[in-house]
Amino acid sequence: MIAMLAISEGAKRSALAQIEAMGIDRIIVFSKRPSLTGKSESSNSASMIERYGLTQRDRSHIERMDNVDQVIGLFDVRKKILKGLTRTNLKLIGCDINFLNESPAFLEKGRWFTPADFKNNVPVCVIGKNVRREMFELGDTNVVGEMLRVDDKVYRIIGIINNPYESQYPEIGGQNDMILIPQTTGRAFYKDYAFYREGRSSKIIRVEFDLFLVKVNDTAYIDNTAKRLSGYLEKTHGEIADWGMVVPFELLKQQEQTQNIFTIVMGSIAGISLIVGGIGIMNIMLASVFERRKEIGTRRALGAQKSDILLQFLIETVFLTSLGGVIGIAVGVGIARTITYYSGMPTVYSWWSIGLSLVISSLVGVIFGTYPAYQAAQQNPITVLRSE
Amino acid sequence: MTTEAHGGDIVRLIDIRKTYITGDLRVPVLKGINATVSRGEFVGFIGTSGSGKSTLLNILGMLDVPTAGEYFLEDVEVGQLSDVEQATIRNRKIGFIFQSFNLFAYLSVEQNIEVPMLYARIPGRIRRKRALELARRVGLGHRLGHRPTQLSGGECQRIAIARALSNQPAFILADEPTGNLDEKTSNEIMELFHELNREQGVTIVMVTHNPALGPHYDKIIRLRDGRIDDTPFEWEVRGTPK
Repeated sequence: MIAMLAISEGAKRSALAQIEAMGIDRIIVFSKRPSLTGKSESSNSASMIERYGLTQRDRSHIERMDNVDQVIGLFDVRKKILKGLTRTNLKLIGCDINFLNESPAFLEKGRWFTPADFKNNVPVCVIGKNVRREMFELGDTNVVGEMLRVDDKVYRIIGIINNPYESQYPEIGGQNDMILIPQTTGRAFYKDYAFYREGRSSKIIRVEFDLFLVKVNDTAYIDNTAKRLSGYLEKTHGEIADWGMVVPFELLKQQEQTQNIFTIVMGSIAGISLIVGGIGIMNIMLASVFERRKEIGTRRALGAQKSDILLQFLIETVFLTSLGGVIGIAVGVGIARTITYYSGMPTVYSWWSIGLSLVISSLVGVIFGTYPAYQAAQQNPITVLRSE
Repeated sequence: MTTEAHGGDIVRLIDIRKTYITGDLRVPVLKGINATVSRGEFVGFIGTSGSGKSTLLNILGMLDVPTAGEYFLEDVEVGQLSDVEQATIRNRKIGFIFQSFNLFAYLSVEQNIEVPMLYARIPGRIRRKRALELARRVGLGHRLGHRPTQLSGGECQRIAIARALSNQPAFILADEPTGNLDEKTSNEIMELFHELNREQGVTIVMVTHNPALGPHYDKIIRLRDGRIDDTPFEWEVRGTPK
């Protein structure tokens, strides 16, 4: 039971931490390539330029909305990042200067961008910790100051960031896989264009922003803000679904509900096993009462009250079940630790769950020990004394 | 039928009757027993099986209640008391000794002796002191830490005697105390009873079928078919059987 609780609690914590890492006080709006079906495809293939997603206009509008504190924009340059000849899944991202502050990542080495970097379109980059692993040799620990070539441009690495939650943003992936450059640098170097090969035809894709982190002032009204935001986007983007929205806060609530159901199911299983175990204990104690009826008779002859006998057997049962509880806790904690050790899956065993288990195990003793103890007390001393 | 108090008597049975009723069948087992045990006496109830000896033992030990008649224990009528009161009197006034010792195998000798004192709610310090005294008195002071399974039958019965004495009861009620012992040990145990009776003035009531124990008693009460029979046994007439 402890193990079950620990696993479910651990799963819950890690899922919640993931979501919380995205920030519960923000709404994530992202660009999505419209599905290439039916009319849109023919109309798109007519023009060489495919244009979709969030725009600067959207951004300035969202910034003016109620309850919106700030908007952080990210855009994917859509360059293939190669290590030698292999394509990596890293992404070159132009970001706002506040991106680091508003994300769960922290600076591991070096520095973050300065306003001057932005103003002067300086070719510098801050890389996620996975980038270092993929792009550099194993021994290369201090890569700050080194140059990183992406396509035909070279960037000087000024810092390494680490997002300990490994949280993923929709469409553009995890922060640890990003090569971040100042947004202004990105715009100056690449404009908003990206060449894109698809089968035999190549295309130019134009996306102004891939992601907005919309930070709200008051989480209490986040639902409302999200609704208005999606209303606005529906109106301006028309029927083409080239955007998507995630509200971590909503996810959090959903996740909590799912987890609660999970915990309830786990709890019921544990409860049923407690009942089964309790009935087992009861049978053992009844057998024990039968086996020890001579002792009961002797004790009664020596002056034990019925209540003394009752208490004796009840205490024995409670002791037995509490011992079982202690062993169960030890085994449960052991299992939880083993799981964590081998799978890295976090398990959480809280003090309250251990305390609760102890209380429940002695309670099982009281509930299922009462009947056998009552039986013991009701034995007729004459007949049990004669028995062998 | 007189019911007034009578100073020296520990036990007074007045017309005790016990009838077992099974459905329509009425089986009278005790058909009017009158007997007394005085302080300091060593009394033997002797009877063959079916004489009502066990039933009388149960009534004397307050494990059973008589259908009719009165049982005075130290001048208190105890025949019809409640469960709780009976248990209390059993605890304080009667020291049980069984044929098969009935010691608790999972307790040490010392703890076994302490059991009746435990039920009398006597504090631990006093219990231990008295347990040691009693163990010494029955000659087993050096065995306090042992388990009953490590002792011989005779030693077990000595411990049982110590246990019976632990609450300083009004009398000791022994049920065939030598039934599971060989002749030599059995004589030793009887000797111990005599010692306790003579030197400490312990009143002893022994219930047995064994006429060989006859010569040990101050007074023999013969049970035949639920009645007290004054005719002496054959061996009493002929002399001690051996």
